[in-house]
Amino acid sequence: MNHLHSQAAEDAAGQAHNGSKRRSRCIALNINGELHEITVQPRKMLIEVIRETVGLTGTKGSCLSGTCGACTVLLSGRPVLSCITLAVECEGKEIRTVEDLAQGGKLNALQEAFLDQGAVQCGFCTPGMLMSATALLERHEKPSLAQIKKGLEGNLCRCTGYNAIVDAVLQVSDQGVLPVMK
Amino acid sequence: MILYDFDYERPGTLQEAMSLLRNSGVDARLLAGGTDLLPNMRVQNLKPALLISLGAIAPMPPQAGEDGSIRIDALSRLADLENSDFIRREIPLLAESAHAVGGNQIRQSATLGGNLCQETRCLHLNQEHDYQFAAPCYKRGGDCCYPYPGNKPGSCWSVYMSDTAPALIALGAEVEILGEEGTRSVPAERLFSGNALTPLLIARSEMIRSLIVPAAPAGFGWGYHKSTLRGGLEFAMANMAVTLRLEDDGETCAAARIVVGAVSEGPLRASSAERKLVGKALTAELLSEAADDASDEINPLPHHGFTRNYLRENIRVYLRRTLTAALERASGGII
Ligand SMILES: Cc1cc2nc3c(=O)[nH]c(=O)nc-3n(C[C@H](O)[C@H](O)[C@H](O)COP(=O)(O)OP(=O)(O)OC[C@H]3O[C@@H](n4cnc5c(N)ncnc54)[C@H](O)[C@@H]3O)c2cc1C
Ligand code: SF4
Repeated sequence: MNHLHSQAAEDAAGQAHNGSKRRSRCIALNINGELHEITVQPRKMLIEVIRETVGLTGTKGSCLSGTCGACTVLLSGRPVLSCITLAVECEGKEIRTVEDLAQGGKLNALQEAFLDQGAVQCGFCTPGMLMSATALLERHEKPSLAQIKKGLEGNLCRCTGYNAIVDAVLQVSDQGVLPVMK
Repeated sequence: MILYDFDYERPGTLQEAMSLLRNSGVDARLLAGGTDLLPNMRVQNLKPALLISLGAIAPMPPQAGEDGSIRIDALSRLADLENSDFIRREIPLLAESAHAVGGNQIRQSATLGGNLCQETRCLHLNQEHDYQFAAPCYKRGGDCCYPYPGNKPGSCWSVYMSDTAPALIALGAEVEILGEEGTRSVPAERLFSGNALTPLLIARSEMIRSLIVPAAPAGFGWGYHKSTLRGGLEFAMANMAVTLRLEDDGETCAAARIVVGAVSEGPLRASSAERKLVGKALTAELLSEAADDASDEINPLPHHGFTRNYLRENIRVYLRRTLTAALERASGGII
């Protein structure tokens, strides 16, 4: 089912000056299977539209320069950095955010594995980690340790020391790692 | 968000993109993956008035020509190159160098053409300037240099950090460039001016269309290394690519290319070290001497906190290992 989410009024206020009205474009973004019609200036990054216009705040912004991976979303299946991707570049593509993982209010197996391994501490890197891991697992059913490390290399975590995160990916891909938390 | 307004076009064909680039009458830039351009616009190192997105133009898959050369579309994503079985088999050096760039998310967006056309970098330049209250440096049109205030006025020591450029130069790749007068073709090493203020010899009205990598001859071997602190999501301290070709006797060197990047305004070839190898039977000792010579010849610029002496030693050690790997591949030791 497609929901149309119009946002023209909200934007009209922001467009009063600088000729930005002329530059604004009306685009339709497919986010987690819902179509959102929005008016957006070219200078807006995808993360701003996801968080501020659409209101999905699961995706986190941290470095805003492509160096930490917290803002990772899937763009037509590819993990990309929504803080250095223009929203206008994403029309016609399928965008998936961390909100798409849980179904019917129930965490998916990867998210459960993160909990089982204590792979979440402050939690700020977690949405990005989950999206990178999702992309990895869609490519490799049972990724090797090297593939996991390379697959998550673009996501920084300052709390867990990474091992628990790697273990969560090994656990969910059924490679002999058992839950440590119960 | 980028702190100023700009126009945006998303042409459906290369012809349209080229005509926008030529006729817009404003400072226009091509937007490929955006992973270099957008961070530079965010800190206002670059302020183009128009972005011409190449996002609606699909890259052609790599194609083998009749002479065995391989044509790679400049719009190819680095992740697609590193994961392509064809490229891994036919041009493993290119796959390896693409794999070395940034982190996975960067490589999923970044293109080969954008990688070649990236801006030079320095510790001062790639910062947010808006709250630094600092006068612009030479590279930003000002009249000072922060890290190297004692340098000759007007000289900028920002470094060119592409991980793929040294590999393409070592492979002898040709760059196909679309411009006002049609297509021109230059060897990859001629893309660089050696001046960090204007590092690339490509006009703003031109576009890299494709890279043509010649067929690997018999007795061919390669080596690649990127020196980093962490081993991921990081620009190079130094990167190096080597290609060797052995005569039919399996030991005499017929040709050698040694290219070192990330330590200068553009990638550098160690020509005298190359000459030292050609015509000789390659031994561990000779490779080690060539690495010593190259590290003297290259004269790295200090950058990102690494001193010239440290970089010299880094290049000396890793070039020796890279040359050794290339020789092993050339003589069939490792694949
Ligand atoms: C966190 C982070 C880490 C990074 N790490 C590395 C690294 O380790 N190694 C590395 O080499 N780079 C690195 N980069 C820089 C950048 O991501 C890469 O160089 C990337 O390959 C640039 O490609 P792009 O397609 O995103 O280029 P864009 O940003 O789209 O373009 C860069 C420049 O090239 C021009 N351009 C693009 N395509 C063409 C073309 N076909 N013809 C002519 N001009 C063109 C654009 O107008 C622009 O001026 C990193 C960037 C970030 C943010
Ligand atoms: S080295 Fe170049 S970019 Fe860096 S501060 Fe000096 S002039 Fe600016």
